[in-house]
Amino acid sequence: MSTFSIKIGGEAGQGLVSVGNILLQAIAKEGWHLFAHQDYESRIRGGHNFFQIRVADRPLYTWEGQSDVLVALDKATITNHRDELKDGGVILYDPGLVGETYEGEEFVAVPFVQTTEDEGQPKVMANAVACGAIWAFLSEDIEVLGDVLEAMFADKGEDIVAGNRQVSKVGYQKASEAAERLPKPVKPKEKKPVLLMKGNDALPSGALAAGVSFMSAYPMTPSTGVTEFIAGNQAACGVVMEQAEDEIAAINMAIGAAYTGVRAMTATSGGGFALMTEALGLAGSAEIPVVVINAQRPGPSTGLPTRTEQGDLLYTVATGSGDFPKAVLAPGDIEEAFELMGTAFNLAERYQMPVMVLSDQHLADAHRTVEPFDLDAVTIDRGKVVTGDAANDSGYKRYAYSEDGISPRLYPGSGEALAVSAGDEHDEEGHLIEDAETRTKQMDKRMKKMEAVAEEALAPVFFGDDDAEVTLVSFGSTKGALREAVELLQSQEVRARGVHVRQVFPMAPEIADAFDGSGKTYVVESSFTGQFERLLAAEFAVKPAGHVRRYDGRPLNAEYILEHLEGGRYRG
Amino acid sequence: MANFDVLKETAWCPGCGNFGIINALKEALEGLDMEKHKVLYVSGIGQAGKVPHYIEGNVLNTLHGRTLPTATGAKLANSDLAVFAIGGDGDGYAEGGNHFLHATRKNVDITYIVHDNRVFGLTKGQASPTTDPGMVTGTTPEGVVNAAFNPLAVAITNDTGFVARSYAGDRKHLVKTLQAAIQHKGFSFVDVLQPCVTFNKINTYQWYRERVYDLNEEDFDPTNRTAAWERSFEWGDRIPIGIFYQVERPVLRADDKALAKGPLVQRDLDPHIVDSVLDKYRVNP
Repeated sequence: MSTFSIKIGGEAGQGLVSVGNILLQAIAKEGWHLFAHQDYESRIRGGHNFFQIRVADRPLYTWEGQSDVLVALDKATITNHRDELKDGGVILYDPGLVGETYEGEEFVAVPFVQTTEDEGQPKVMANAVACGAIWAFLSEDIEVLGDVLEAMFADKGEDIVAGNRQVSKVGYQKASEAAERLPKPVKPKEKKPVLLMKGNDALPSGALAAGVSFMSAYPMTPSTGVTEFIAGNQAACGVVMEQAEDEIAAINMAIGAAYTGVRAMTATSGGGFALMTEALGLAGSAEIPVVVINAQRPGPSTGLPTRTEQGDLLYTVATGSGDFPKAVLAPGDIEEAFELMGTAFNLAERYQMPVMVLSDQHLADAHRTVEPFDLDAVTIDRGKVVTGDAANDSGYKRYAYSEDGISPRLYPGSGEALAVSAGDEHDEEGHLIEDAETRTKQMDKRMKKMEAVAEEALAPVFFGDDDAEVTLVSFGSTKGALREAVELLQSQEVRARGVHVRQVFPMAPEIADAFDGSGKTYVVESSFTGQFERLLAAEFAVKPAGHVRRYDGRPLNAEYILEHLEGGRYRG
Repeated sequence: MANFDVLKETAWCPGCGNFGIINALKEALEGLDMEKHKVLYVSGIGQAGKVPHYIEGNVLNTLHGRTLPTATGAKLANSDLAVFAIGGDGDGYAEGGNHFLHATRKNVDITYIVHDNRVFGLTKGQASPTTDPGMVTGTTPEGVVNAAFNPLAVAITNDTGFVARSYAGDRKHLVKTLQAAIQHKGFSFVDVLQPCVTFNKINTYQWYRERVYDLNEEDFDPTNRTAAWERSFEWGDRIPIGIFYQVERPVLRADDKALAKGPLVQRDLDPHIVDSVLDKYRVNP
């Protein structure tokens, strides 16, 4: 099960993300499958950050702790990560940038910056030198990298393109000898068309495919990528993305837009989501569809802005005062990020309620190569909308009672009928009331919708063996780690099953099956108190045999799970 | 001509300034030949927030303080609707303060009417941002000490394209002002001075009658921002009402490419719209 990993470390502003992105393109172009993630600090310059790429001839879903090639643009990379090097691995470093030279077979000095000077090129091309040096460990063909550099810098003119290509070749040559120590990663037999994306590309793509027409948002890491993606596609897709002055404005603008009959959304992180809770109750009470992405990061409070955790689960599920219909989805990977945005909008409009989508920094920023999305499989269901003669009916009541609790929704202005809506408790006509009978009837009507919502709750995804000795249960972006952990267990001859939950409210009854059987079930998640474990207990009255919890701001992976499961018993 | 029926039975006290405002609104809308189903009132929470429940039209009675972002979202999604944001001084200047600060910068084409009775009515008499210093209320038993909020000055500072003040006790002036606000293209802000007969014993009908005058009947240039700003601080013995500032500014997203084919609400939704968006991410297509 060997895979090849490259870890590039440096200070913010040194260009390590550029190096990473160039390599991702070249690696994908050569047909490899990849999983890449980033670790960065909340700053624009300095600090210590890294970009890690895992490469294989088969699909990858998570990262590995050790690297084959460690690339140091700063000294901290060596200090912090030299112990993660695999046996026989190589540490490429620029002595000039790092500030010293190292003894030891694994250390290979390649002067990225000095090379640009020697070649008479601008210093910023040191990135291309580094790319070339790294490429030597991956491929026999330097021209592939040169082509990627050309595509990337085409708009900067011929000289820049030629310069980058030239210095990358020099970097390649300087690393060639050391590169022969390691076998090159095996390529898949055929090159398939793929999409190279991260979660913050997939989520907005899914929203746009599902017909989102209005977004309002306030920037907050790690959701800002979604906001800027939509902002950049306004003209192309006929969407309006309006920056709001704060998160309260963001959610209320989206609700105002949704009220007129457009698919509307916002995106934020935990601290911003906190500001939206009153409005989510409004959406529930006034029965206005809206989709909200909560891209989690570690709390509490401002926490670790650029890192990852799943600690908003309970407060997202329980959001808003009082009881009202809602749903919370938790995509586990790029494919689900795309698909579940469409699911979210359909649920929101079919049931006229708010739907939350839980993302997190790891899902947001991790890249994978995935199969192109099937746009023909995307369905758009606007729910019960008042059209034709009914739109002119002066007797129209926005909150009319019905068997399933869903009242036909009039887009204001679409006919002569009037739509009257309120957050205060109201009667069928939408006007304010306080009497016990109407209050009870309206509450019953709204909550009746939850019966149907619950019936279509997404079933969990099962991996691995039935009748397992070890069952792992997780939600959201832990999916990749879960999947590979199951494979690692199976490779140790342990019957293992993984249960990935992609809708955390309401939850499908099949999830309880994870706790059946003769084996032991463990809940794997990123939060201190085990919020998912608590939610499962509340919903299904189940208790796992144990758990794995991470709360240091770093993402889970398969190795971490095995390291911590039952005190490391399955470490292997 | 459409008739904007007004409900006789309301939750307001007899003599409430809201009656003057709602009747002026009715007259203004009918005078401009507006169509009921093309009007959307977005109101907040408070006595003023009840206005749309008493006059015909589409209604979204939203949260306390949030009329402006809600109305902005609605207008951007469906520019065919005439969108009104309606609320009181507590709703608009306290809870909604940040939204006021920024909506007055964005020239979204809505009309914002504030029922400024300089007190919190629905919650029974606490001070609001526009309560004059010295007034004793349930939360300020020693008398208000903070400087009164000056919404006109803030709007003028933000170069809002239509900034006006009117008075609930002067029907003619209010109708005229509301109509000018509705017809102005862009964000139109009208602060309506309003007596609260139950909780504000200082700013009464009598009190206003002795002080209010129409500044547009004097030699006043409403395109002069500095003059408008200075005049907005005139308060006490003489209280100017009228259009303080009016200029043409580009309406928010009037030329937006995304809206070139018409209001968002009329879009055809087709998943294949992302085909070209995804091209950027394809490798080995």
